[in-house]
Amino acid sequence: MTQRRFKTAYFVIPAVVFMIAVYALPLAGVALQSVTDADGGSWSLAGYRDIFSSTLFYKVAWSTFTISLLSTTVSLSLAFPLAYFLSKQRPKVRAVLMIFVLVPFWTSVLVKAFAFTILLGQSGIINDALAFFGLGPLPLLFNKAGVIVGMSHFLIPFMVFPILTSLMAQPPELRRAASIMGAGRLRIFFRITLPLCLPGIMTGTLLVLILSLGFFVVPALLGGRQDMMLSNLVDFYTRETLNWQAASTLAVILFSFAMIVAYTLARVPGGSSLLGGQDR
Amino acid sequence: MVKVQLNDVEKRYGPTVALAPTNLSVTEGEFLTLLGPSGSGKTTLLNIVSGMTEPTGGEVWIDGVDVTNVPSAKRGLGMVFQSYALMPHMTIFQNIAFPLQIRGLPREEIRRKVEDVLELVQLPHVAGRKPKELSGGQQQRIALARCIVYDPSIILMDEPLGALDKKLREQMQLEIKRLQVQLGITMLYVTHDQEEAMTMSDRIILMNNGSAEQIGTPNELYFQPNSSFVADFIGQSNLLDATVAGEDRVRLVNGEIITVRHDAPLSHGQSVKVLLRPEVLHLREIDAGGNRLDATIRGSVISGSTVKHFLELDGGTSVLVEELSNGTNAAPAPGDRVTISWSVGQARVLPA
Repeated sequence: MTQRRFKTAYFVIPAVVFMIAVYALPLAGVALQSVTDADGGSWSLAGYRDIFSSTLFYKVAWSTFTISLLSTTVSLSLAFPLAYFLSKQRPKVRAVLMIFVLVPFWTSVLVKAFAFTILLGQSGIINDALAFFGLGPLPLLFNKAGVIVGMSHFLIPFMVFPILTSLMAQPPELRRAASIMGAGRLRIFFRITLPLCLPGIMTGTLLVLILSLGFFVVPALLGGRQDMMLSNLVDFYTRETLNWQAASTLAVILFSFAMIVAYTLARVPGGSSLLGGQDR
Repeated sequence: MVKVQLNDVEKRYGPTVALAPTNLSVTEGEFLTLLGPSGSGKTTLLNIVSGMTEPTGGEVWIDGVDVTNVPSAKRGLGMVFQSYALMPHMTIFQNIAFPLQIRGLPREEIRRKVEDVLELVQLPHVAGRKPKELSGGQQQRIALARCIVYDPSIILMDEPLGALDKKLREQMQLEIKRLQVQLGITMLYVTHDQEEAMTMSDRIILMNNGSAEQIGTPNELYFQPNSSFVADFIGQSNLLDATVAGEDRVRLVNGEIITVRHDAPLSHGQSVKVLLRPEVLHLREIDAGGNRLDATIRGSVISGSTVKHFLELDGGTSVLVEELSNGTNAAPAPGDRVTISWSVGQARVLPA
């Protein structure tokens, strides 16, 4: 049995070679750079010492953490009702509506970020509309609000799909059985639909949280100076100060941070499916 | 007391009739089975009772209340699904407790009732397990327990044993029947398996093409079928084409004239079908003024307790004869000429 499973292993060789060449090796290089001194000579933890003693790092790490958490929360609260609605549609209608969910993928993040500056700016469409009713203007650009809007817009599909998949995987008889037993809609939702959907919610949350930890373009274009994220700081070190050691160190820290998040979420009830476990 | 009463319920999808106007009443403690091939309307009828399908006409009464426009959740029914529909994220205890929690019973009473019902279905040790840790038969019993526990006015079962293998299915049939009799459960049961229907039911409704073909006890359906569809669907049957040749007499296609029994008056020259159950036929000539036909053996198979002989009447009609096997009756060889006979009154005339 085990042997047969590995018989087709050579099918994954091209992908593995590709990933080693363009991902694993460069990543190892980055990790190495973070523990050698600036000249690339001897071992040194100076990079970590410098980073952990810089107040800028803590500020940026904190804003990375809060922005990621906020945009994940916003994505989840918008994506769940959307996925629930989609799961209730007939297959044909759902296929059409799915295209709208995928629309954010059709344009690059960069282009969309610029588009959002037009929508959200002081004299943008939203504030113009508010002014028409004698309201506003709301500060929506170059602050956290702008970053959250821009990020959520990109992230929602990543949340919708795993949730939709786990909603659709639920046999309809379960809800019908509960209904015949006398359960009302709220009880069916909270005792059956939602618990059975937890693995999907966990997968979506993990995906979105990890994606948002590494966001770069959106905070750079839609955020203010306070909304710098770790990726922006890496960019700052590589391009502005040419401090490759600090940049590498930051990258390793960000990577470890993401791993910790993934591991923690996988330990939460309903999250074990992330690591291939069977929670249901 | 009448538990469920259907008055002219029907279901149409546009011009398609899924269920022709049907009347039906289920009395308290009765085991009533909806039997029929797929697409015969039996599941539609069940779903109309459960409230999952809205009838396009007629009324549904449960416990003397018109529930035609009452949603499933408020009909006070129990239902067992073919897929069991146990909640995969709950333990067996939680699954059975669920309908009791809906009814707002106190915690202690719930615990006691769940334990009692687990005892009843002979699975007291599985309370802490998840459904997927149980075998199919065990899950089926838990699904039934989940209904029994809240004492619904009627339990609906939709092909509940369809996913089990033959041996387990037969075991479960007896088990369900035992519980139904012991607890006086009113049961509306859907199956396409005629043996299952015969084993368990007090009454059977044989459905065909969206309407009830015949309603009766298993005995009535087997011995007094009122159509060739019923005769063909229930048990094994030989249905011979014939024309009426006089009072109590019909002429088979090969010209032989036989004596028959009938309920409805026959008119001379009318086309009919003659039902001869394989087990009433004998491969020898018997007395009692029996009818007899000459035939040729085409083959014989032994299926344990019985032997089946495949015969061809002179004239080309195939006939099946089934006898008890006793190990000594010499098997006739293909090509042997035999005479088959049966007691008068065993041949039944049905409309063609």
